[in-house]
Amino acid sequence: MPAQFDVNAAELVEFGVGLDERKTQRYVSVPTDVNVKAALREMVMATRTEMKGAGDGADYDPGEKYSSHENLRLPLSSELASHILKIHSAVNLAVEPKALSDPTNVFCYFTRMRDKKGHKLSAIRRATTFKGVLKSRLVQFSTDALKLVEDKIFKLDRDFDFIVEESGIQILRPAGFEFVGALEGAILAAVDKNANSLKADLPFVDLESIQSYAKQHPRAARYLASIRTQQETKNINKAKLKALCESTGVKVTEVKGKLQVEDGSVMDFLGVLDRRLYQVELIKDSPESFRAASRSRIGQNG
Amino acid sequence: MPHPARTEGLKIARLLMVLSSVSPLFVLWAIRGSSLVPDSYLLTFCLLLVILPNFFLWLRIEGAKKHQVKSELIVGSAEDHRDHLLVYLFAMLVPLYPIDAGTWRDLAALIAAFGFVIFLFWHLNLHYMNIIFAIRGYRVFTILPPKDDNPLSGRTSLVLVTPRTNVLPGDRIIAYRLSDTVFFEAKECQPNLTLTPLN
Repeated sequence: MPAQFDVNAAELVEFGVGLDERKTQRYVSVPTDVNVKAALREMVMATRTEMKGAGDGADYDPGEKYSSHENLRLPLSSELASHILKIHSAVNLAVEPKALSDPTNVFCYFTRMRDKKGHKLSAIRRATTFKGVLKSRLVQFSTDALKLVEDKIFKLDRDFDFIVEESGIQILRPAGFEFVGALEGAILAAVDKNANSLKADLPFVDLESIQSYAKQHPRAARYLASIRTQQETKNINKAKLKALCESTGVKVTEVKGKLQVEDGSVMDFLGVLDRRLYQVELIKDSPESFRAASRSRIGQNG
Repeated sequence: MPHPARTEGLKIARLLMVLSSVSPLFVLWAIRGSSLVPDSYLLTFCLLLVILPNFFLWLRIEGAKKHQVKSELIVGSAEDHRDHLLVYLFAMLVPLYPIDAGTWRDLAALIAAFGFVIFLFWHLNLHYMNIIFAIRGYRVFTILPPKDDNPLSGRTSLVLVTPRTNVLPGDRIIAYRLSDTVFFEAKECQPNLTLTPLN
Protein backbone atom coordinates (compact mmCIF):
# COMPACT_ATOMS: atom_id res chain seq x y z
CA MET A 1 0.00 0.00 0.00
CA PRO A 2 1.40 3.45 -0.87
CA ALA A 3 2.56 5.55 2.07
CA GLN A 4 0.26 8.20 3.46
CA PHE A 5 0.71 11.59 1.80
CA ASP A 6 2.86 13.87 3.93
CA VAL A 7 0.90 17.11 4.18
CA ASN A 8 3.94 19.00 5.44
CA ALA A 9 5.94 17.95 2.39
CA ALA A 10 3.40 19.36 -0.05
CA GLU A 11 5.03 21.88 -2.35
CA LEU A 12 1.72 22.80 -3.95
CA VAL A 13 -1.51 23.52 -2.08
CA GLU A 14 -4.45 24.55 -4.21
CA PHE A 15 -7.92 25.60 -3.15
CA GLY A 16 -10.94 25.30 -5.36
CA VAL A 17 -14.69 25.09 -5.46
CA GLY A 18 -17.28 23.01 -7.27
CA LEU A 19 -19.85 25.14 -9.05
CA ASP A 20 -23.35 23.96 -9.84
CA GLU A 21 -24.33 25.65 -13.09
CA ARG A 22 -27.79 24.43 -14.05
CA LYS A 23 -27.16 21.09 -15.70
CA THR A 24 -23.39 21.05 -15.46
CA GLN A 25 -20.86 21.06 -12.68
CA ARG A 26 -17.50 22.77 -12.91
CA TYR A 27 -14.48 22.63 -10.66
CA VAL A 28 -12.29 25.71 -10.61
CA SER A 29 -9.21 26.82 -8.72
CA VAL A 30 -9.34 29.92 -6.52
CA PRO A 31 -6.05 31.65 -5.58
CA THR A 32 -5.34 31.87 -1.84
CA ASP A 33 -2.69 33.29 0.41
CA VAL A 34 -0.36 31.31 2.71
CA ASN A 35 -2.71 31.54 5.70
CA VAL A 36 -5.52 29.82 3.81
CA LYS A 37 -3.05 27.18 2.62
CA ALA A 38 -1.96 26.59 6.20
CA ALA A 39 -5.62 26.28 7.23
CA LEU A 40 -6.19 23.72 4.46
CA ARG A 41 -3.24 21.63 5.66
CA GLU A 42 -4.63 21.76 9.19
CA MET A 43 -8.02 20.66 7.90
CA VAL A 44 -6.50 17.58 6.22
CA MET A 45 -4.65 16.67 9.41
CA ALA A 46 -7.81 17.25 11.48
CA THR A 47 -9.75 14.97 9.10
CA ARG A 48 -7.25 12.17 9.65
CA THR A 49 -7.43 12.67 13.41
CA GLU A 50 -11.24 12.61 13.33
CA MET A 51 -11.21 9.41 11.29
CA LYS A 52 -8.95 7.70 13.78
CA GLY A 53 -11.37 8.73 16.52
CA ALA A 54 -14.33 7.33 14.58
CA GLY A 55 -13.15 3.74 15.04
CA ASP A 56 -11.42 1.03 13.07
CA GLY A 57 -11.44 1.39 9.32
CA ALA A 58 -14.03 -0.49 7.29
CA ASP A 59 -14.81 -0.76 3.60
CA TYR A 60 -17.49 1.57 2.29
CA ASP A 61 -20.71 -0.28 1.49
CA PRO A 62 -23.42 1.58 -0.46
CA GLY A 63 -26.12 -0.51 1.22
CA GLU A 64 -25.17 0.53 4.75
CA LYS A 65 -26.78 3.31 6.76
CA TYR A 66 -23.90 5.20 8.29
CA SER A 67 -23.66 7.65 11.13
CA SER A 68 -22.40 11.18 10.48
CA HIS A 69 -18.75 10.34 11.30
CA GLU A 70 -17.13 7.11 10.14
CA ASN A 71 -13.76 5.73 9.22
CA LEU A 72 -14.36 4.19 5.81
CA ARG A 73 -12.25 3.47 2.78
CA LEU A 74 -13.00 2.83 -0.84
CA PRO A 75 -10.43 1.80 -3.46
CA LEU A 76 -10.00 4.14 -6.41
CA SER A 77 -10.67 1.21 -8.70
CA SER A 78 -14.27 0.97 -7.46
CA GLU A 79 -16.96 2.10 -9.88
CA LEU A 80 -18.44 4.13 -7.02
CA ALA A 81 -15.28 6.23 -6.99
CA SER A 82 -15.47 7.20 -10.66
CA HIS A 83 -16.67 10.79 -10.20
CA ILE A 84 -14.35 11.46 -7.28
CA LEU A 85 -11.48 10.06 -9.34
CA LYS A 86 -12.29 12.58 -12.07
CA ILE A 87 -12.04 15.42 -9.56
CA HIS A 88 -8.78 14.01 -8.20
CA SER A 89 -7.18 13.55 -11.62
CA ALA A 90 -8.47 16.67 -13.38
CA VAL A 91 -5.58 18.80 -14.60
CA ASN A 92 -5.07 22.48 -15.42
CA LEU A 93 -8.19 23.57 -13.59
CA ALA A 94 -9.34 27.02 -14.66
CA VAL A 95 -8.31 29.76 -12.25
CA GLU A 96 -11.37 31.80 -11.32
CA PRO A 97 -10.87 34.21 -8.43
CA LYS A 98 -14.44 35.44 -8.90
CA ALA A 99 -15.96 31.98 -8.53
CA LEU A 100 -17.06 32.97 -5.04
CA SER A 101 -18.87 36.09 -6.22
CA ASP A 102 -22.06 34.01 -6.32
CA PRO A 103 -21.53 31.52 -3.47
CA THR A 104 -25.02 30.05 -3.84
CA ASN A 105 -23.64 28.07 -6.79
CA VAL A 106 -20.85 26.58 -4.70
CA PHE A 107 -21.77 23.03 -3.72
CA CYS A 108 -18.39 21.92 -2.46
CA TYR A 109 -14.89 23.15 -1.85
CA PHE A 110 -11.66 21.25 -1.99
CA THR A 111 -7.92 21.33 -1.69
CA ARG A 112 -5.43 19.56 -3.90
CA MET A 113 -1.88 18.98 -2.76
CA ARG A 114 1.16 17.65 -4.52
CA ASP A 115 4.62 16.81 -3.22
CA LYS A 116 7.97 16.87 -5.01
CA LYS A 117 7.72 13.18 -5.87
CA GLY A 118 4.47 13.76 -7.74
CA HIS A 119 2.20 12.17 -5.12
CA LYS A 120 -1.18 13.82 -4.93
CA LEU A 121 -3.86 14.33 -2.32
CA SER A 122 -7.32 15.80 -2.72
CA ALA A 123 -9.67 16.58 0.13
CA ILE A 124 -13.25 17.66 -0.41
CA ARG A 125 -16.00 19.11 1.75
CA ARG A 126 -19.64 19.61 0.93
CA ALA A 127 -20.41 23.32 1.18
CA THR A 128 -22.97 23.60 3.95
CA THR A 129 -21.45 25.81 6.61
CA PHE A 130 -19.51 27.54 3.89
CA LYS A 131 -22.77 28.73 2.36
CA GLY A 132 -24.64 28.93 5.63
CA VAL A 133 -22.52 31.81 6.82
CA LEU A 134 -23.63 33.83 3.83
CA LYS A 135 -27.23 33.55 4.87
CA SER A 136 -26.69 34.37 8.51
CA ARG A 137 -25.80 37.78 9.78
CA LEU A 138 -22.51 37.89 11.59
CA VAL A 139 -21.75 40.35 14.32
CA GLN A 140 -18.43 41.41 15.72
CA PHE A 141 -17.17 43.71 18.39
CA SER A 142 -15.96 47.05 17.15
CA THR A 143 -14.59 49.02 20.07
CA ASP A 144 -17.11 48.08 22.78
CA ALA A 145 -20.21 47.71 20.61
CA LEU A 146 -21.47 44.87 18.46
CA LYS A 147 -21.93 45.63 14.81
CA LEU A 148 -23.01 43.71 11.74
CA VAL A 149 -20.22 42.43 9.52
CA GLU A 150 -20.83 43.81 6.06
CA ASP A 151 -18.06 42.00 4.20
CA LYS A 152 -18.51 38.73 2.36
CA ILE A 153 -17.15 36.07 4.67
CA PHE A 154 -16.40 32.48 3.71
CA LYS A 155 -16.04 30.12 6.60
CA LEU A 156 -13.86 27.08 6.15
CA ASP A 157 -14.83 24.07 8.22
CA ARG A 158 -12.60 22.29 10.71
CA ASP A 159 -12.13 19.24 8.51
CA PHE A 160 -13.01 17.68 5.16
CA ASP A 161 -15.65 15.06 4.38
CA PHE A 162 -13.18 12.76 2.67
CA ILE A 163 -9.62 12.51 1.42
CA VAL A 164 -8.41 11.01 -1.85
CA GLU A 165 -4.89 9.59 -2.09
CA GLU A 166 -3.15 6.97 -4.20
CA SER A 167 -4.09 4.39 -1.56
CA GLY A 168 -7.79 5.13 -2.06
CA ILE A 169 -10.57 7.26 -0.67
CA GLN A 170 -10.79 7.76 3.08
CA ILE A 171 -14.27 8.80 4.13
CA LEU A 172 -15.08 10.68 7.31
CA ARG A 173 -18.61 11.78 6.40
CA PRO A 174 -20.35 9.28 4.12
CA ALA A 175 -23.19 11.72 3.40
CA GLY A 176 -20.76 14.31 2.07
CA PHE A 177 -18.93 11.70 0.04
CA GLU A 178 -22.18 10.43 -1.50
CA PHE A 179 -23.34 13.94 -2.32
CA VAL A 180 -20.14 15.13 -3.98
CA GLY A 181 -19.54 11.75 -5.62
CA ALA A 182 -23.04 11.87 -7.14
CA LEU A 183 -23.43 8.33 -5.86
CA GLU A 184 -27.20 8.10 -5.95
CA GLY A 185 -27.32 8.83 -9.67
CA ALA A 186 -24.39 6.50 -10.32
CA ILE A 187 -25.97 3.67 -8.34
CA LEU A 188 -29.32 4.07 -10.13
CA ALA A 189 -27.53 4.18 -13.48
CA ALA A 190 -25.67 0.99 -12.58
CA VAL A 191 -28.80 -1.06 -11.77
CA ASP A 192 -28.80 -2.94 -15.10
CA LYS A 193 -25.08 -3.64 -14.89
CA ASN A 194 -25.31 -4.83 -11.29
CA ALA A 195 -28.37 -6.99 -11.93
CA ASN A 196 -26.83 -8.53 -15.04
CA SER A 197 -23.68 -9.42 -13.12
CA LEU A 198 -25.81 -11.32 -10.58
CA LYS A 199 -27.63 -13.29 -13.27
CA ALA A 200 -24.66 -15.56 -13.83
CA ASP A 201 -24.44 -16.38 -10.13
CA LEU A 202 -28.19 -16.75 -9.60
CA PRO A 203 -29.61 -18.39 -12.73
CA PHE A 204 -32.50 -19.75 -10.66
CA VAL A 205 -33.78 -16.28 -9.66
CA ASP A 206 -35.96 -14.10 -11.90
CA LEU A 207 -34.12 -10.80 -11.53
CA GLU A 208 -36.22 -8.83 -14.04
CA SER A 209 -38.79 -7.65 -11.50
CA ILE A 210 -36.02 -6.79 -9.03
CA GLN A 211 -34.21 -4.85 -11.73
CA SER A 212 -37.24 -2.71 -12.62
CA TYR A 213 -38.04 -2.15 -8.92
CA ALA A 214 -34.48 -1.03 -8.19
CA LYS A 215 -34.59 1.51 -11.02
CA GLN A 216 -37.39 3.29 -9.18
CA HIS A 217 -36.13 2.85 -5.63
CA PRO A 218 -32.67 4.16 -4.67
CA ARG A 219 -32.51 2.04 -1.52
CA ALA A 220 -33.04 -1.14 -3.52
CA ALA A 221 -30.45 0.06 -6.04
CA ARG A 222 -28.01 0.54 -3.15
CA TYR A 223 -28.65 -3.00 -1.90
CA LEU A 224 -28.06 -4.29 -5.42
CA ALA A 225 -24.77 -2.38 -5.63
CA SER A 226 -23.81 -3.66 -2.19
CA ILE A 227 -24.55 -7.28 -3.13
CA ARG A 228 -22.42 -6.97 -6.23
CA THR A 229 -19.61 -5.23 -4.33
CA GLN A 230 -19.57 -7.91 -1.62
CA GLN A 231 -19.27 -10.64 -4.29
CA GLU A 232 -21.10 -13.11 -2.08
CA THR A 233 -23.62 -14.50 -4.54
CA LYS A 234 -21.37 -17.22 -5.93
CA ASN A 235 -22.39 -20.78 -4.97
CA ILE A 236 -25.63 -19.72 -3.28
CA ASN A 237 -27.73 -22.82 -2.83
CA LYS A 238 -31.23 -22.51 -4.26
CA ALA A 239 -32.89 -24.67 -1.59
CA LYS A 240 -31.19 -22.82 1.25
CA LEU A 241 -32.07 -19.45 -0.28
CA LYS A 242 -35.69 -20.52 -0.60
CA ALA A 243 -35.72 -21.80 2.98
CA LEU A 244 -34.28 -18.56 4.35
CA CYS A 245 -36.84 -16.56 2.38
CA GLU A 246 -39.64 -18.62 3.88
CA SER A 247 -38.29 -18.35 7.43
CA THR A 248 -37.86 -14.58 7.18
CA GLY A 249 -41.23 -13.94 5.58
CA VAL A 250 -39.98 -13.08 2.09
CA LYS A 251 -42.67 -14.07 -0.38
CA VAL A 252 -41.21 -16.00 -3.31
CA THR A 253 -42.86 -18.44 -5.67
CA GLU A 254 -41.22 -20.95 -7.96
CA VAL A 255 -42.27 -20.83 -11.60
CA LYS A 256 -40.62 -23.14 -14.11
CA GLY A 257 -37.67 -23.65 -11.82
CA LYS A 258 -37.09 -19.94 -11.18
CA LEU A 259 -37.73 -18.09 -7.95
CA GLN A 260 -40.00 -15.10 -8.51
CA VAL A 261 -40.15 -12.42 -5.85
CA GLU A 262 -43.51 -10.82 -5.15
CA ASP A 263 -43.68 -7.05 -5.57
CA GLY A 264 -43.95 -6.27 -1.88
CA SER A 265 -40.98 -8.46 -0.97
CA VAL A 266 -38.25 -7.17 -3.26
CA MET A 267 -36.47 -5.17 -0.56
CA ASP A 268 -36.61 -8.09 1.83
CA PHE A 269 -35.30 -10.47 -0.82
CA LEU A 270 -32.39 -8.12 -1.51
CA GLY A 271 -31.91 -8.00 2.27
CA VAL A 272 -31.59 -11.78 2.29
CA LEU A 273 -28.99 -11.73 -0.48
CA ASP A 274 -27.15 -8.88 1.29
CA ARG A 275 -27.14 -10.87 4.56
CA ARG A 276 -29.38 -8.38 6.31
CA LEU A 277 -32.27 -10.72 7.10
CA TYR A 278 -31.49 -13.68 9.27
CA GLN A 279 -32.96 -16.11 11.76
CA VAL A 280 -31.73 -17.31 15.14
CA GLU A 281 -33.10 -20.00 17.38
CA LEU A 282 -31.76 -19.61 20.87
CA ILE A 283 -35.01 -20.83 22.40
CA LYS A 284 -35.94 -24.33 21.34
CA ASP A 285 -38.69 -24.43 18.69
CA SER A 286 -38.96 -20.62 18.77
CA PRO A 287 -37.04 -19.31 15.75
CA GLU A 288 -36.81 -15.52 15.56
CA SER A 289 -36.25 -13.49 12.40
CA PHE A 290 -34.37 -10.21 12.39
CA ARG A 291 -33.40 -7.47 10.00
CA ALA A 292 -29.93 -5.97 10.46
CA ALA A 293 -29.56 -2.25 9.78
CA SER A 294 -25.84 -2.82 9.60
CA ARG A 295 -23.67 -5.90 9.50
CA SER A 296 -20.08 -6.94 9.22
CA ARG A 297 -18.59 -10.38 8.86
CA ILE A 298 -17.22 -11.70 12.13
CA GLY A 299 -13.51 -12.31 11.86
CA GLN A 300 -12.94 -9.59 9.28
CA ASN A 301 -13.90 -6.35 10.95
CA GLY A 302 -14.46 -7.40 14.47
CA MET B 1 -18.99 19.25 -21.43
CA PRO B 2 -18.96 22.78 -22.81
CA HIS B 3 -17.53 25.33 -20.45
CA PRO B 4 -19.33 28.65 -20.24
CA ALA B 5 -17.45 31.66 -21.55
CA ARG B 6 -15.57 33.55 -18.86
CA THR B 7 -13.66 36.78 -18.86
CA GLU B 8 -10.07 37.19 -17.80
CA GLY B 9 -9.85 38.80 -14.37
CA LEU B 10 -7.26 41.20 -12.90
CA LYS B 11 -8.02 43.95 -15.41
CA ILE B 12 -6.02 46.68 -13.70
CA ALA B 13 -3.13 44.32 -12.99
CA ARG B 14 -3.06 43.24 -16.62
CA LEU B 15 -3.12 46.88 -17.75
CA LEU B 16 -0.11 47.61 -15.58
CA MET B 17 1.62 44.50 -16.95
CA VAL B 18 0.92 45.76 -20.47
CA LEU B 19 2.45 49.11 -19.55
CA SER B 20 5.44 47.22 -18.21
CA SER B 21 5.53 45.32 -21.47
CA VAL B 22 5.72 48.50 -23.56
CA SER B 23 8.11 50.29 -21.23
CA PRO B 24 10.97 50.21 -23.81
CA LEU B 25 8.81 52.53 -25.88
CA PHE B 26 8.99 55.17 -23.14
CA VAL B 27 12.76 54.79 -23.04
CA LEU B 28 12.85 55.47 -26.79
CA TRP B 29 10.53 58.48 -26.41
CA ALA B 30 12.68 59.91 -23.67
CA ILE B 31 15.77 59.56 -25.89
CA ARG B 32 14.08 61.07 -28.95
CA GLY B 33 12.45 63.95 -27.05
CA SER B 34 9.71 66.22 -28.41
CA SER B 35 9.68 69.79 -29.69
CA LEU B 36 6.22 70.29 -28.10
CA VAL B 37 6.82 68.99 -24.60
CA PRO B 38 9.72 70.30 -22.47
CA ASP B 39 12.32 67.63 -21.68
CA SER B 40 11.80 67.95 -17.95
CA TYR B 41 8.14 66.95 -18.25
CA LEU B 42 8.72 64.31 -20.91
CA LEU B 43 11.60 62.69 -19.06
CA THR B 44 9.66 62.62 -15.78
CA PHE B 45 6.60 61.19 -17.54
CA CYS B 46 8.64 58.52 -19.36
CA LEU B 47 10.64 57.65 -16.24
CA LEU B 48 7.45 57.14 -14.23
CA LEU B 49 5.94 54.96 -16.94
CA VAL B 50 9.08 52.85 -17.03
CA ILE B 51 9.51 52.51 -13.28
CA LEU B 52 5.94 52.18 -11.97
CA PRO B 53 4.63 49.34 -14.18
CA ASN B 54 7.85 47.36 -13.83
CA PHE B 55 7.78 47.92 -10.08
CA PHE B 56 4.22 46.59 -10.12
CA LEU B 57 5.32 43.55 -12.15
CA TRP B 58 8.05 42.89 -9.61
CA LEU B 59 5.51 43.26 -6.78
CA ARG B 60 3.16 40.88 -8.56
CA ILE B 61 5.84 38.20 -8.89
CA GLU B 62 7.09 38.68 -5.33
CA GLY B 63 3.50 38.64 -4.02
CA ALA B 64 2.83 35.37 -5.82
CA LYS B 65 6.03 33.92 -4.35
CA LYS B 66 5.26 35.19 -0.85
CA HIS B 67 1.72 33.80 -0.82
CA GLN B 68 2.73 30.69 -2.77
CA VAL B 69 0.05 31.39 -5.39
CA LYS B 70 1.03 28.46 -7.57
CA SER B 71 -0.65 26.04 -9.91
CA GLU B 72 0.41 22.79 -11.47
CA LEU B 73 0.40 22.91 -15.26
CA ILE B 74 0.27 19.62 -17.13
CA VAL B 75 1.63 20.00 -20.63
CA GLY B 76 -0.32 18.45 -23.49
CA SER B 77 1.77 20.27 -26.06
CA ALA B 78 3.83 23.45 -25.93
CA GLU B 79 4.50 26.10 -28.53
CA ASP B 80 7.52 28.37 -28.37
CA HIS B 81 6.20 31.68 -29.68
CA ARG B 82 9.37 33.41 -30.82
CA ASP B 83 7.36 34.78 -33.74
CA HIS B 84 5.54 36.94 -31.18
CA LEU B 85 8.73 38.97 -31.13
CA LEU B 86 7.74 40.42 -34.50
CA VAL B 87 4.39 41.50 -33.07
CA TYR B 88 6.20 43.04 -30.16
CA LEU B 89 8.70 44.94 -32.31
CA PHE B 90 5.93 46.17 -34.60
CA ALA B 91 3.95 47.39 -31.62
CA MET B 92 7.02 49.24 -30.33
CA LEU B 93 7.86 50.87 -33.66
CA VAL B 94 4.41 52.00 -34.84
CA PRO B 95 3.94 54.71 -32.20
CA LEU B 96 7.45 56.01 -32.92
CA TYR B 97 6.80 56.47 -36.65
CA PRO B 98 5.29 60.00 -36.58
CA ILE B 99 7.42 61.35 -33.74
CA ASP B 100 9.44 63.70 -35.92
CA ALA B 101 6.44 65.78 -37.06
CA GLY B 102 6.35 67.95 -33.99
CA THR B 103 2.79 69.26 -34.27
CA TRP B 104 -0.02 68.81 -31.74
CA ARG B 105 -2.01 66.72 -34.25
CA ASP B 106 0.95 64.38 -34.69
CA LEU B 107 1.29 64.11 -30.94
CA ALA B 108 -2.43 63.27 -30.70
CA ALA B 109 -2.00 60.63 -33.42
CA LEU B 110 0.97 59.21 -31.54
CA ILE B 111 -1.00 59.00 -28.29
CA ALA B 112 -3.91 57.38 -30.15
CA ALA B 113 -1.58 54.82 -31.77
CA PHE B 114 -0.11 54.13 -28.37
CA GLY B 115 -3.64 53.70 -26.95
CA PHE B 116 -4.50 51.18 -29.67
CA VAL B 117 -1.38 49.16 -28.92
CA ILE B 118 -2.12 49.19 -25.19
CA PHE B 119 -5.73 48.16 -25.76
CA LEU B 120 -4.78 45.31 -28.11
CA PHE B 121 -2.09 43.99 -25.77
CA TRP B 122 -4.55 44.18 -22.87
CA HIS B 123 -7.52 42.73 -24.73
CA LEU B 124 -5.57 39.90 -26.38
CA ASN B 125 -3.81 38.99 -23.12
CA LEU B 126 -0.35 39.74 -24.52
CA HIS B 127 0.82 41.14 -21.18
CA TYR B 128 3.34 38.30 -20.94
CA MET B 129 5.50 39.92 -23.65
CA ASN B 130 8.16 41.74 -21.75
CA ILE B 131 11.72 42.60 -22.67
CA ILE B 132 12.76 42.22 -19.03
CA PHE B 133 11.84 38.54 -19.14
CA ALA B 134 13.95 38.13 -22.28
CA ILE B 135 16.90 40.01 -20.75
CA ARG B 136 16.76 37.73 -17.69
CA GLY B 137 16.81 34.62 -19.90
CA TYR B 138 13.17 33.62 -19.70
CA ARG B 139 11.21 32.17 -22.59
CA VAL B 140 7.51 32.21 -23.29
CA PHE B 141 5.57 29.05 -24.13
CA THR B 142 1.91 28.51 -24.85
CA ILE B 143 0.80 25.41 -22.98
CA LEU B 144 -2.05 23.44 -24.51
CA PRO B 145 -3.88 21.03 -22.19
CA PRO B 146 -3.47 17.25 -22.58
CA LYS B 147 -6.14 15.45 -24.54
CA ASP B 148 -7.77 13.36 -21.83
CA ASP B 149 -11.32 12.11 -21.38
CA ASN B 150 -11.78 13.86 -18.06
CA PRO B 151 -14.57 16.43 -18.51
CA LEU B 152 -13.40 18.31 -15.41
CA SER B 153 -9.93 19.09 -16.75
CA GLY B 154 -9.24 22.63 -17.94
CA ARG B 155 -9.37 23.21 -21.68
CA THR B 156 -7.90 26.71 -21.81
CA SER B 157 -4.45 27.29 -23.30
CA LEU B 158 -2.08 28.92 -20.84
CA VAL B 159 1.06 31.02 -21.17
CA LEU B 160 4.17 30.01 -19.26
CA VAL B 161 7.13 32.32 -18.73
CA THR B 162 9.99 30.00 -17.84
CA PRO B 163 13.78 29.71 -17.76
CA ARG B 164 13.46 26.28 -19.47
CA THR B 165 14.74 26.06 -23.01
CA ASN B 166 12.11 23.51 -23.93
CA VAL B 167 8.84 22.26 -22.57
CA LEU B 168 7.83 18.72 -23.47
CA PRO B 169 4.44 17.00 -23.60
CA GLY B 170 3.70 15.36 -20.26
CA ASP B 171 5.83 17.79 -18.26
CA ARG B 172 4.39 18.77 -14.88
CA ILE B 173 5.34 22.32 -14.04
CA ILE B 174 4.54 24.21 -10.86
CA ALA B 175 4.42 27.90 -11.66
CA TYR B 176 3.36 31.14 -9.99
CA ARG B 177 0.19 32.78 -11.21
CA LEU B 178 0.57 36.25 -12.73
CA SER B 179 -2.94 36.34 -14.17
CA ASP B 180 -5.66 33.78 -14.86
CA THR B 181 -3.86 32.49 -17.96
CA VAL B 182 -0.24 33.64 -17.51
CA PHE B 183 2.10 31.71 -15.21
CA PHE B 184 5.68 32.34 -14.21
CA GLU B 185 8.15 29.61 -13.34
CA ALA B 186 10.84 31.08 -11.14
CA LYS B 187 14.42 29.92 -11.19
CA GLU B 188 14.19 29.20 -7.49
CA CYS B 189 11.31 28.62 -5.10
CA GLN B 190 10.75 29.50 -1.45
CA PRO B 191 10.79 26.72 1.14
CA ASN B 192 7.49 25.15 2.13
CA LEU B 193 5.50 26.04 5.20
CA THR B 194 5.67 23.28 7.81
CA LEU B 195 2.98 22.56 10.39
CA THR B 196 2.93 20.40 13.49
CA PRO B 197 0.47 17.46 13.21
CA LEU B 198 -2.62 17.64 15.41
CA ASN B 199 -2.78 15.25 18.33
